Amino acid sequence: MLEVRDLVTAYGTIEALKGVTLSAKQGEITCILGPNGAGKTTLMYSIACILKPVSGSVKVNDTEITGTSAPHALRCGIALVPENRLVFHSMSVEENLMAGAYTRLSSDRAGVQADIDNAYARFPSLKDRRAQIAGTLSGGEQQMLAVARAMMSRPKILMMDEPSLGLAPLIVAEIFSIIRQLNDEGVSIVLVEQNAHKALQIANRFYLLDQGRVTFSGTPGEIGEDDFIQRAYLGSKVA
Amino acid sequence: MSEYAISVASNMGMIAFVALSAYVILVVGEISFGQQAYFGIGAYMSGAATAMWGWPFGLALAVGSLSAAAAAFAIGALTIRLRGLYFAISTLCFAEMLRLWLNSVHVRVEVDGEMVGPDGAEGFGDIRWIFENDVTPLEFMFIIYGLLGAVLAFLLLVERSRLGAALRMVGQDPLLARSQGIDASACKLLAVMFAGLIAGLGGGLYAHFATYIEPNVFNVMLGVHGLAYGLIGGLGTALGPIIGVVLDIGFLEGIRAIQGYRMIVFGGLVAILLIVMPRGILDETRVYRIKRWMRRT
Amino acid sequence: MVDFIQTTIDGLSIGSAYSLIALGFTLVFGVMRRINLSYGPSIMLGAFAGTWIFVTLDAQPWLVAAVTVAGTVAVGVYVERVCFWAIRRDAAIASMVSSFVIWMQLEEVATILLPGRTYPFPELFRTGGVEIGPYFFRMEYVTTLTVAILVLVMLRLLLFKTRFGLALRAVSENPAAAAYMGIRPGRVIFRAFVLASLIGGIAGYLLLAADQQVTPYFGLWATFKGLIAMMLGGMGSIPGAVVGGLILGVIESQTQWYLGNAYKDLSSYLVLFMVLVLRPGGLLGQGIAEREAQAFRRI
Ligand SMILES: Nc1ncnc2c1ncn2[C@@H]1O[C@H](COP(=O)(O)OP(=O)(O)OP(=O)(O)O)[C@@H](O)[C@H]1O
Ligand SMILES: [Mg+2]
Repeated sequence: MLEVRDLVTAYGTIEALKGVTLSAKQGEITCILGPNGAGKTTLMYSIACILKPVSGSVKVNDTEITGTSAPHALRCGIALVPENRLVFHSMSVEENLMAGAYTRLSSDRAGVQADIDNAYARFPSLKDRRAQIAGTLSGGEQQMLAVARAMMSRPKILMMDEPSLGLAPLIVAEIFSIIRQLNDEGVSIVLVEQNAHKALQIANRFYLLDQGRVTFSGTPGEIGEDDFIQRAYLGSKVA
Repeated sequence: MSEYAISVASNMGMIAFVALSAYVILVVGEISFGQQAYFGIGAYMSGAATAMWGWPFGLALAVGSLSAAAAAFAIGALTIRLRGLYFAISTLCFAEMLRLWLNSVHVRVEVDGEMVGPDGAEGFGDIRWIFENDVTPLEFMFIIYGLLGAVLAFLLLVERSRLGAALRMVGQDPLLARSQGIDASACKLLAVMFAGLIAGLGGGLYAHFATYIEPNVFNVMLGVHGLAYGLIGGLGTALGPIIGVVLDIGFLEGIRAIQGYRMIVFGGLVAILLIVMPRGILDETRVYRIKRWMRRT
Repeated sequence: MVDFIQTTIDGLSIGSAYSLIALGFTLVFGVMRRINLSYGPSIMLGAFAGTWIFVTLDAQPWLVAAVTVAGTVAVGVYVERVCFWAIRRDAAIASMVSSFVIWMQLEEVATILLPGRTYPFPELFRTGGVEIGPYFFRMEYVTTLTVAILVLVMLRLLLFKTRFGLALRAVSENPAAAAYMGIRPGRVIFRAFVLASLIGGIAGYLLLAADQQVTPYFGLWATFKGLIAMMLGGMGSIPGAVVGGLILGVIESQTQWYLGNAYKDLSSYLVLFMVLVLRPGGLLGQGIAEREAQAFRRI
């Protein structure tokens, strides 16, 4: 489904990704873990064609999308729920959803309207606030909105960058149940998380990123959680 | 030096004061469209001091620049919480108010049987200090460059000091500066006041060089030119604005051959320069590299 | 009292043209957080193109109007490419200074096109106006006001009912987030620029047709009227631009009537200065000041 090969991305002369190879399979939840500054966000942006990689390739269903544009990546079925949510604060909830469907707004008005109704069905709390200005939503609601907005482009792969950031445990649980639900409906998920415990509970496959390189990958069954956290956040000296 | 060259050089020197003044404010992270006001205050005050009150030249320059600094302090204190474009426009407002107000200021006194003093839009003529004291244009040019050199040396010294570092930090990241215990507002106010002083000094020189001043000389074009020079030369060092002035006036005089198309050519060149070097020719990184290179050799 | 109301009416009519210019400013500022000093001069050069075909080919007023607007848009596109598109997004001061040197360029082009100081600009109507009770409505002013209202309604529809409007608002709020939605900020900015030039060209034509003459100073004049009106209302706010323009028009005509011509410009600067000192966000804008501060902090 998603194939990333030897991806190198740099900010100026500093390489934030130094050759990352990973793949996400159809219908799975792929989890990317790593300490701060590991390059997780950079990886998301590079896959979504927001950043232009120096070298390497990104393929979706065997089509090369490296170095094309963000709209193109969206049309190929990749949507991003950005770090810190980044909903449009001054726009209403409904307008945020419309913005999410921007790439198909001109060709498929009816479909967009249907998808907005779907989003409200999935997130009833957003329905009650459809005309409310997004900046006045709570953090949890904003995260729901960010997910709903990303789903408006009907992605095949939904990438989420730290969706649990700064949210209370109850809301985090809700987010994770939504991730699972979306996954059950056939959307492949690429999830970046700091919350390794939660992430490993739902992931089919995980990658460990450190200083721009994949240092470990596997399935959650292959390794004990404690050992994993050791590797991820305390360095690999235990291994 | 021909008379013409002296006059061009003197003009360059005097406008360099405006450029330096705009530069000082750019360093603390703000933009001013209004430094011409302080140039004007300096010109009117020191012009009045010699022509109307018969004070000595040095004292007149001091009065001119100190009144400009005082005005800058007052306006700065009023607008200290404004940022970015809001600050920029407030400076423009003040400068334009001053210019329009000067159009209706008539203070005429009798000196040696003649009426002198600001006469509204008719301007303020007969600032005859250079004639009365037989100062040649060449000598006056040396006075201009002497004072400019002094201001420049002082600015370069400040830039190497802790204060200079603090000012730059305020300009680049006010929050970081505050977290380092730097009083950002005080720094800005200091910079605004000093910028007023520099512009006022230049204005005082201008009044005596031109012997005639009128409110329209101090219009927004003067200030925006100064600002542009500051940026073209580069925001990394006080030498930057000087480079900007030399490039502009020197270049414009140099390309007299294409009279009538000068601004088209020059404007285009500066636009290209800004695309390639958005923080000017001598920006912080280049200044840093040059310094490192000089230390090595 | 009759005088006061009559002056207010005149002020509102001129003010509606100021509002249009401020709208152009606000649109561009809102979407890219950078200031285009060349906005007025682009209108001026457009108008010079219009007056050029008027004096050399004796063109009809409608053709002059079309050339003025088209010329403004063409110059606007040039300014956008050189001063904004080509310059790094975070270099706001460089863009502004660049728009200033391009202004100098545009003025020179205008004087090459028509070397004189002042040129006639064709009036819209030969008829004088309408009288209602004791009040007189100059025909040009009625037209200006009508066109301004029309433009405003259309702009509102465009911003809130169309796909482009959605993209424009998304980019002005958060270009990065807009890009994640597949919106191309560069393209949106370009179109906003064209739209602003269109509005500016219309405003410029109406103002000049009422004045029946054009000088190169119109560029400076338009830039600063637009800036003041925008700042009065609050930057980046559409209603702010409209209200700011109207207030500016009324202040000017009242001071001109009661205090004389000398105080006309002084009073508007004074009011703006006081608004900035007492209420930095402008009359209708709040929070914008803070966002703006952030934008400038990145310079
Ligand atoms: N815009 C930028 N300019 C320069 N360097 C950047 C930029 N964005 C990120 N970096 C650098 O790239 C590296 C990777 O950053 P990235 O944001 O991808 O990390 P991350 O894994 O998402 O971290 P976090 O868990 O804190 O979100 C870091 O060293 C960071 O300093
Ligand atoms: Mg991150």
